[in-house]
Amino acid sequence: MSQLRLASLVAVALAFGGLYYRILVAPSPGGFAPPQAAPRAVSSTTPLYRPQLLPNSAERSVHSATAAEISGGRLRAFWYGGSREGAADVAIYTSIYSSVEGTWSPERAVVTREAAQRHLQRHLRKLGNPVVGRDRNGRLLLFFVSVSVGGWAGSAINLMVSEDEGGTWSAPRRLIASPFFNISTLVKGSPLQFADGTIGLPVYHEMLGKFGELLRLDAEGHAIRKTRLSSGRSSLQPVIVPRSETEAVGFMRYAGNPPNRVLMVRTTDGGATWTPPVKTSLPNPNAAVGGVLLANGPLLLALNNAEENRESLSLASSTDFGDTWRIAHEFDGDSSSLHPPMREYSYPWIMQDGAGDVHLLYTWGRTRIKHVRFNRAWLAGRR
Amino acid sequence: MSTIFGFFGCGLLSLAAVATGLRLQRFPVGVRIAVMLAAALAVFAPLGDLSAAAYVRGVTGDLSMTTLVLAGAACVAQLTGQTVIAPRDLRALFWLVASAAAFLYPFALGWTQFDPYALGYGSIVFVTALLLVTLAAWHFRRNVVALIVITAALVYLIGAYESRNLWDYLIDPLAALYALVRLLAGLRRGPGPHAELGIPR
Repeated sequence: MSQLRLASLVAVALAFGGLYYRILVAPSPGGFAPPQAAPRAVSSTTPLYRPQLLPNSAERSVHSATAAEISGGRLRAFWYGGSREGAADVAIYTSIYSSVEGTWSPERAVVTREAAQRHLQRHLRKLGNPVVGRDRNGRLLLFFVSVSVGGWAGSAINLMVSEDEGGTWSAPRRLIASPFFNISTLVKGSPLQFADGTIGLPVYHEMLGKFGELLRLDAEGHAIRKTRLSSGRSSLQPVIVPRSETEAVGFMRYAGNPPNRVLMVRTTDGGATWTPPVKTSLPNPNAAVGGVLLANGPLLLALNNAEENRESLSLASSTDFGDTWRIAHEFDGDSSSLHPPMREYSYPWIMQDGAGDVHLLYTWGRTRIKHVRFNRAWLAGRR
Repeated sequence: MSTIFGFFGCGLLSLAAVATGLRLQRFPVGVRIAVMLAAALAVFAPLGDLSAAAYVRGVTGDLSMTTLVLAGAACVAQLTGQTVIAPRDLRALFWLVASAAAFLYPFALGWTQFDPYALGYGSIVFVTALLLVTLAAWHFRRNVVALIVITAALVYLIGAYESRNLWDYLIDPLAALYALVRLLAGLRRGPGPHAELGIPR
């Protein structure tokens, strides 16, 4: 055997020894981080229901709000806005809500297309959906969609990290989640934590197929594992709600043939495997939903309660973790006294803060983001 | 680090496209070198915020070792007029890349719950299959195949790209498309000695 042949065999042994070693020393994936058992403070026993529009002084079109609780019981919200959806001037904006004063600060841009392009060293054509979450170390994680070529089916996901509650941000980093030039991966659902410190990010794909996946990200924000939530061409924008370390339910927007219903999946092994999607009793006009499991229940879902349009936005409640539902309230729709020029109420984001109050953010007529804050006492009165 | 690696890879692909498109080997050596230097300047120098390589990276993402080896071989072939990769090596590489692409890409479109791309995050079965392919390539002296797999594995282990998925270091859609086109062209043409990379018939 020539020396070169021997050297190449040694190289094979070294390379594959490294690959096997990496697999064997990788920690086994943990289940979901235990959800909050009870609010940190007691919500008022007086019913609270406070709707308001967020400030929008600059942009004609806004969409896809997301929010996280930050220090002092405040909320920091993000959304994208620009002259129109998909325009080159679309940027990701943020505003802070003071729960004491009940007001939102003036918005400011967190990331523009030009800045993201410069940091990522890639041409970017437009920005899209942001979602925000926290990692185990308390850092804020802001994921946002960008497109280099084509429409939303050509999307990729980027991540920025803040260690000061959103005051300053790291340069964006690209997440790799698809073998097709890493295109066609988008976000809408809330990130979640796993017990092993990894982050779960519900994502979906829109190129040729429409299906959901759950990415696992390491502490640096690299995708290190993923699980398919669905397959085919009709499910997207997954929202995952864990109940315990092993159990979670997921909901998805439905883009298939009638009857148009919210799709639901379940896992009982910490997200390793998921049941095939089933249609719930809840209608879905091919629109995003938002979900949250309140501390000590019930499970809430914000959705467009219609099969054909987004002209009303409602709250559904389930006390059996998604098996049965009842509509508890209509936030916007026919009964609303104030209508935007475009009657569309969509892309809900719902969460519970540490005081036990529930916050809902959604797109109001494509021109404003609307915030509704309510508490358990108000919710109890909706029965 | 990932930006530098990714940036370099897309620049190399751009240079290979320029060299092959111009069929540089027709010109004297001095002209070939001058054109490649000028092309390198044009590819890597910033045009405003971004360089041409960054625009390519915006479309293709980071390129696999297969694409980089083929692009590098095309550059060398056009510069020196010498074939770098033996035809039989190329044929083996193209068949392997096309087979891997047929396994990977249709399922990655979400046709079923099975997702072969997920295997690239760390699967004993996947790595063992790759080891067997590499040992077979080594045994039958298909050296370029072994070289690409070894390089991809090492670059993956040091985390040179943004991806932590081994598939992204092995193949990409450009390599798959190129392999498919060359195989189809070869089948139409029949067996012959004209498969050298970058050398026209």
